[in-house]
Amino acid sequence: MNYFPDEVIEHVFDFVTSHKDRNAISLVCKSWYKIERYSRQKVFIGNCYAINPERLLRRFPCLKSLTLKGKPHFADFNLVPHEWGGFLLPWIEALARSRVGLEELRLKRMVVTDESLELLSRSFVNFKSLVLVSCEGFTTDGLASIAANCRHLRDLDLQENEIDDHRGQWLSCFPDTCTTLVTLNFACLEGETNLVALERLVARSPNLKSLKLNRAVPLDALARLMVCAPQIVDLGVGSYENDPDSESYLKLKAAIKKCTSLRSLSGFLEAAPHCLSAFHPICHNLTSLNLSYAAEIHGSHLIKLIQHCKKLQRLWILDSIGDKGLEVVASTCKELQELRVFPSDLLGGGNTAVTEEGLVAISAGCPKLHSILYFCQQMTNAALVTVAKNCPNFIRFRLCILDPTKPDHVTSQPLDEGFGAIVKACKSLRRLSLSGLLTDQVFLYIGMYANQLEMLSIAFAGDTDKGMLYVLNGCKKMKKLEIRDSPFGDTALLADVSKYKTMRSLWMSSCEVTLSGCKRLAQKAPWLNVEIINENDNNRMEENGHEGRQKVDKLYLYRTVVGTRMDAPPFVWIL
Amino acid sequence: MEKEGLGLEITELRLGLPGRDVAEKMMKKRAFTEMNMTSSGSNSDQCESGVVSSGGDVEKVNDSPAAKSQVVGWPPVCSYRRKNSCKEASTTKVGLGYVKVSMDGVPYLRKMDLGSSQGYDDLAFALDKLFGIRGIGVALKDGDNCEYVTIYEDKDGDWMLAGDVPWGMFIESCKRLRIMKRSDASGFGLQPRGVDE
Repeated sequence: MNYFPDEVIEHVFDFVTSHKDRNAISLVCKSWYKIERYSRQKVFIGNCYAINPERLLRRFPCLKSLTLKGKPHFADFNLVPHEWGGFLLPWIEALARSRVGLEELRLKRMVVTDESLELLSRSFVNFKSLVLVSCEGFTTDGLASIAANCRHLRDLDLQENEIDDHRGQWLSCFPDTCTTLVTLNFACLEGETNLVALERLVARSPNLKSLKLNRAVPLDALARLMVCAPQIVDLGVGSYENDPDSESYLKLKAAIKKCTSLRSLSGFLEAAPHCLSAFHPICHNLTSLNLSYAAEIHGSHLIKLIQHCKKLQRLWILDSIGDKGLEVVASTCKELQELRVFPSDLLGGGNTAVTEEGLVAISAGCPKLHSILYFCQQMTNAALVTVAKNCPNFIRFRLCILDPTKPDHVTSQPLDEGFGAIVKACKSLRRLSLSGLLTDQVFLYIGMYANQLEMLSIAFAGDTDKGMLYVLNGCKKMKKLEIRDSPFGDTALLADVSKYKTMRSLWMSSCEVTLSGCKRLAQKAPWLNVEIINENDNNRMEENGHEGRQKVDKLYLYRTVVGTRMDAPPFVWIL
Repeated sequence: MEKEGLGLEITELRLGLPGRDVAEKMMKKRAFTEMNMTSSGSNSDQCESGVVSSGGDVEKVNDSPAAKSQVVGWPPVCSYRRKNSCKEASTTKVGLGYVKVSMDGVPYLRKMDLGSSQGYDDLAFALDKLFGIRGIGVALKDGDNCEYVTIYEDKDGDWMLAGDVPWGMFIESCKRLRIMKRSDASGFGLQPRGVDE
C-alpha cells in the first residue's frame, strides 16, 4: 500500500480539503488514518455533543481551525429553551490547556460568554479568525478582549447574534498596531459606535475586504469610510438616511464610484430609498445583494436598483418585492444561483406578498438557480411541477407557505404532487423544507426519489407513521431530520434504530411519540443521546400514572461517542 | 370562525393527553387552525405578541392574522430576523432619538436628542442652546414675535409647523427639524395659535 514515504502521502492529502473526503481517507487503512490525523488542520463538528474536546485533540493534535455547531436548527424559531446547552467555555478551556495552535474558530448556535472570549483571546497567540453565527450570551466586553489581545486578528465576523451592547469602546480596543483586519462585521450590534475609532481602524487596515456596519453608523461616516477603503469587496451599509443634496451624500457618490472591487452589498438597516441611486454605478459588478433587512426599500427604487444588477448570483430580499418584482429579477439576473424571499409582514396577510407566480417566473428566467428559500402566501401543484421542469438542479429547496396547512389554492388538493415533482426532477437535492397541506403520499415520493437528501424539515404534515417510515427507509443519506406538529409516533421512531447511526440528529416536537417509546429507543441505542425537553412541568412525566403513554413534547436525539452530557439543565431529561 | 367541537384543548405546548386519540390524529391537520383560535394560550414572548397587543392598526385580513402569529415558531423566521423586522414596524424614524437640526444661514447641521426634552418649552431651550442664538425657541411658544419659524419633517415626508400637535405625537413623527427665517415663510399667513404644552 505505501509505495511512498509518509511525507509524500501527506503532501497529497494537503490537496484534499473537503471534510467528507478527508473522513473517507482516514478510513482506508491504519497508516492513512495516522497520516491524515496528524496533518489535519481543519475540523468540522456538526453537533458539539457528539464528541468532547479531549477526544478531538487526541485525534487531531495539529488542529488549527475548528467549526462547532450547538443548538438544533429549530432553536432559531424559539422551540429550544435558551439554557438548553451548547456552551463554548469547556471547549476553549480544553483547547487552551492542550496548547493547540488554534487560529480559526467558527461557531453556530452556541452559548458564548465574555469569559470564554477573554480566555480565547489570551490563549492562542496566532488566533486569526472568529466567526459567530446566531450565538448569544456575550457582550461587547467580550469583543473588547478579542480586539485588544489578538495581535494578528484577520476576521471578526458577527452574524445575527444576540449581543448585549454595553456601548463601550470595544472598537478603540484594537491597538494602533493592528493592521491585519480583512473582515469586520458588527451589523448585529444595537448600540452606538465610536465612529472616530472605527474610521481610524479602517484607515489602518489596507487588507480590509469585508466591512459590515451597524445601524449607528450614519451616512456621512459611511462616506468617509469608503474613501479610506476603496478596496472593499463586501459592504454592509448601516444607516442610510440622508438628504440627496447634502455634501456627505455627494461625497458618498464619489467614493462609491471608486469602489470598483465591490461585489457584495447588504444592510440598509434604515434607508432613504430615493438615494439608492448612489450605488447604481457599481451595481453591474455586484454578485451578492442582501436587502432582507431593508424594509424601507421597495417599489420602484428597489426595481431600479435590481435592473442594474445583471451579474447577481445571490439575492436575499423581502416579499414586498411582489410577483412583479420577481419577474424583473427573472429577466435581469440571468446568473442567479441563490434566492431567498423573506416575509416582510410576520402577521400574515400582506397584500404585497409573493405567490406561486413569482416562483415560476424566477424558475423560468434563472437557469442557474440551485438554492431557494421562499416564503409565500399560496402555492399550486401546477406551479411546482413547472418549477421542477425549469430547474432540475436544485440543491436546496425550502418553501414556506405562511399558512402551513394550506392546500393548492386552485384545486384544493394537497401539495403532494408538486413536491413529488421537485424531488423526482432534482436529483442532487440535499435540503428540503415542506409546507402546505401534505399527506403521507409526499413522503412516499421523498423516500423514493430524494436519494441525496441530507436535511428535511417537516411541519404540520402527514397522516400516519407510514409517512415518517417512507423517509427513514428511503433516504439513505439523511443526516438531519426535524419534524414538528405531525402525527408520527413510536412505531415510526422505533422501526429502524440503526438508522440513527447514520444520521446526525432527529428532532420531533408536538408529534405522537410517547415517553415509553423514547425509553425503549434509549435502551436499544446506547450510542444515542435521547433528550426529552420538557419546560412546563419538570416532574409530571414521572408522577403521572399514565407515564408511559404520555406524549413527549420535544424529543431531540443525536449520535454521540461520549455518552450523556453533563451540562444539561433540569428540564432536559436524557434517557 | 367556528371551533368545531375540538375547541381550545389543542395547544402546541400541551404535555400530552393520556392514551392516544384517533380523532386527534385526524385533527392534527386542523391543529394549526385551532391554534389560531387560542387567544392567549401560547407563551410566545416574542415580539409577535407584543405587536399584536399594541397593534391598534393591525389589519384584519382573512382569518384573524393577529392570532395566527401566536403559534410558537411559525412562520419559521429566525428570532434575530423577527426582532429586527418588528423593529422596523414599531420604531419611529427617530431611531436612536437623535434628529438632524438645520438652521438657515448656518453651513452645518446639528443633531439633537428629542428624547431628552420633556416638551416644547424644553425643546425651545435646547434649540437656543444648540445654535447659541436666542429667540429660536420663542417661535415655538409665540408664533408671531420672532425671527424664526421652526418646522419639522414628519414620517410621511411632509414639512410641518412645529407646535401644533401634542408633544408625544410630535416626537413620534418628527424625523428632522429645520429653523427657517420667518421672512422666507412670509406670505403663508401663519395664524397665531393658542399654543400650550
